[in-house]
Amino acid sequence: MLDLALSSMLSPVYLLAQEPAAEEVVKEAFKFSSLANQVLNGFGIVGILLLTALGLAITFGVMRIINLAHGEFIMLGAYITFWMQDTFNMDLLMTIPFAFVGTAIVGAIVELTIIRRLYGRPLETLLATWGLSIVLQGVIKLIFTAQLKYVKAPSYLSGGIDLLKDEAGSPLVSISYYRTFIIVVALALLAITMFLFYGTSWGRQIRAVTQNRSMAQCLGVNTKLVDMGTFAYGCGLAGIAGAVISALKTVAPPMGQDYLVDSWMVVVTGGVDKLIGILAGAFLIGESNAVLAFFLNDPTARVLVLGAVIVLIRYRPEGLFTVQKRT
Amino acid sequence: MSNVVMGYKQSTFPKKLAIVSGIILLAFVILPFMVGSFQLSLMSKLLLFGALAVSLDLVWGFTGILSFAHGVFFTLGGYAVAYYLKLNLSAENNNYGGDIPDFMVWNGLEVLPWFIAPLKYFPVAFLAMIGVPALFAYITGSFIFRSKVSGVYITIITLALSSALTTFFISQQAYTGGTNGITDVSKLSVFGMVIPPVGLYFLILAYTAFVVALAWWLTQSNFGLILRSINENENRISFLGYDVAQYKIFVWTLSAALAGVAGGLFVPLNRFISPVYLAVAFGTQVVIWVAIGGRGTIVGPLAAAMILGQVQNSAERVTQDWNLIVGILLLVVVLFIPNGLMSLVPKKFSLSNLSKPKPMPETVVKPVAPSVSEPQPEPVQRGS
Repeated sequence: MLDLALSSMLSPVYLLAQEPAAEEVVKEAFKFSSLANQVLNGFGIVGILLLTALGLAITFGVMRIINLAHGEFIMLGAYITFWMQDTFNMDLLMTIPFAFVGTAIVGAIVELTIIRRLYGRPLETLLATWGLSIVLQGVIKLIFTAQLKYVKAPSYLSGGIDLLKDEAGSPLVSISYYRTFIIVVALALLAITMFLFYGTSWGRQIRAVTQNRSMAQCLGVNTKLVDMGTFAYGCGLAGIAGAVISALKTVAPPMGQDYLVDSWMVVVTGGVDKLIGILAGAFLIGESNAVLAFFLNDPTARVLVLGAVIVLIRYRPEGLFTVQKRT
Repeated sequence: MSNVVMGYKQSTFPKKLAIVSGIILLAFVILPFMVGSFQLSLMSKLLLFGALAVSLDLVWGFTGILSFAHGVFFTLGGYAVAYYLKLNLSAENNNYGGDIPDFMVWNGLEVLPWFIAPLKYFPVAFLAMIGVPALFAYITGSFIFRSKVSGVYITIITLALSSALTTFFISQQAYTGGTNGITDVSKLSVFGMVIPPVGLYFLILAYTAFVVALAWWLTQSNFGLILRSINENENRISFLGYDVAQYKIFVWTLSAALAGVAGGLFVPLNRFISPVYLAVAFGTQVVIWVAIGGRGTIVGPLAAAMILGQVQNSAERVTQDWNLIVGILLLVVVLFIPNGLMSLVPKKFSLSNLSKPKPMPETVVKPVAPSVSEPQPEPVQRGS
């Protein structure tokens, strides 16, 4: 349908992403390596998706809060990193705990003042969190102005690993250290979160509250505290995501919007039943995006993936990896 | 929002309502002769946004389907008219040569694409303005509503729709003009005569009045009663034998068509259309008007769109942070005034009260026509 002539008309931004595709005419051998490159690229996207969606998997997946301000918590994390690097000249890695604590505190305040009043009213929650996202963007714009900010990646994370080289020694298949770092952080956070949820008493309390709130209350669980803690934890994870990806992209007040729709798609695809579902969701969406972009082009791939997610929601609103239960 | 129980007196002419709306309409008719050209075009724009808000109110306020995709329907109608106006650009304004629009030339197209070419003719463009959004809504609607998907998931689907279409329109630069959209369109003209801004204003006023009247008539009818019942208890209404999906698809399509025409009228006024209006941000704007104005009231969203627009216009001269104010307002409304600002208006003056016939004596047995009102024998006052 969409031939290659179309991709040549695209703006330079998309052409940049098409670099591997341009090589394929040169040699058949290149085709394999550029496809492999794109698949590896896809792993980078998977890492980002997993990282940004993890917080939402907590706030929506576990607590069922329709959180449209998720992107803004990512933005908050990125701004905390920027601010700490700007004033104290700190290493990006060192700012991560502060980003977590800072956004978690904001999350706790939000839960206390807004979310708590709206439990059981999903549409109102949706509107309120949207209002919150506008407010957070406005406040950040007031403090830091609308200018784009840049965060330095640590020097020891620059460069990349070459997995395959041609005869001349120039890299054919490579992945940058930073993307690898993102994937590692995402997987580590997923593991920690799963341990917290399935291995500690706090996690048991959270699951008890989501399964049967009033029963948990009867058994002496402080549901309000659990709610607040869980929401703050989810927001803190979004903050870490913001801190880590701040070096990849420019930091600006509307940056969270870019991640909002993607995070939602990942969580909805993976299903909200098990935390591990979002790994599958991130993998499916990230890789299909990358591979489709290789054969077609970036925007078309995005449209196709979004279309596929819409079809998926239509037929399996509970997500791909949820076991059907009788309720 | 009150549940109107239909009685035999419903057919009587709502005199009070007619007087009030007549006065308001008269004020809008006089308005262009009182204000400058800037206010005139601003008011035209806000009237269109008001019509858009009312169209969303039909699906959200009355039927309970929250949609972020109304900007999409608006823009689809807008693009149809934009192609028409672009293709009819008079020869002296056409400074790039050739018959095809400038952005297509820049992007290397040599022949007008077959699916855009017919839009040169007014009847085709007119039909496309209504038909394209309606068809798009019909297809998506029948896909979504004939399933077990409900509530929040539908909203997320509309988010994805809006996001996907924005990406699509930006990527198809040769056909849609990319991020810039379609700019420098000609003015709307009838039989070779260019319509002046005042004429356009009256056209828009007539359309908005039509949308409001249609929405009022629709929601007061038995059909509207069913829509409200779907909003309140979808299961019960389907147990009574109504095809809920059918009603949802119908009101969704109708609302999309209304939004599309508003978009179509927006283009000759604004002189351009771009994917900005497709994006989630604009769709949210519409949702905010309805939420702040009051769901399920027709006047509320209309008034909210117009008042917020006017305030924004004055506020932007002093502050850059208008959005922050809107965000705070939205939060306050959602948390403390869940039925919108219209619920603060005393019941005595509310639209539904004006349009209601005089209360019937209790002794009169109500010859109730629609079966839906039977489970609720007395008018239930919901909300505050």
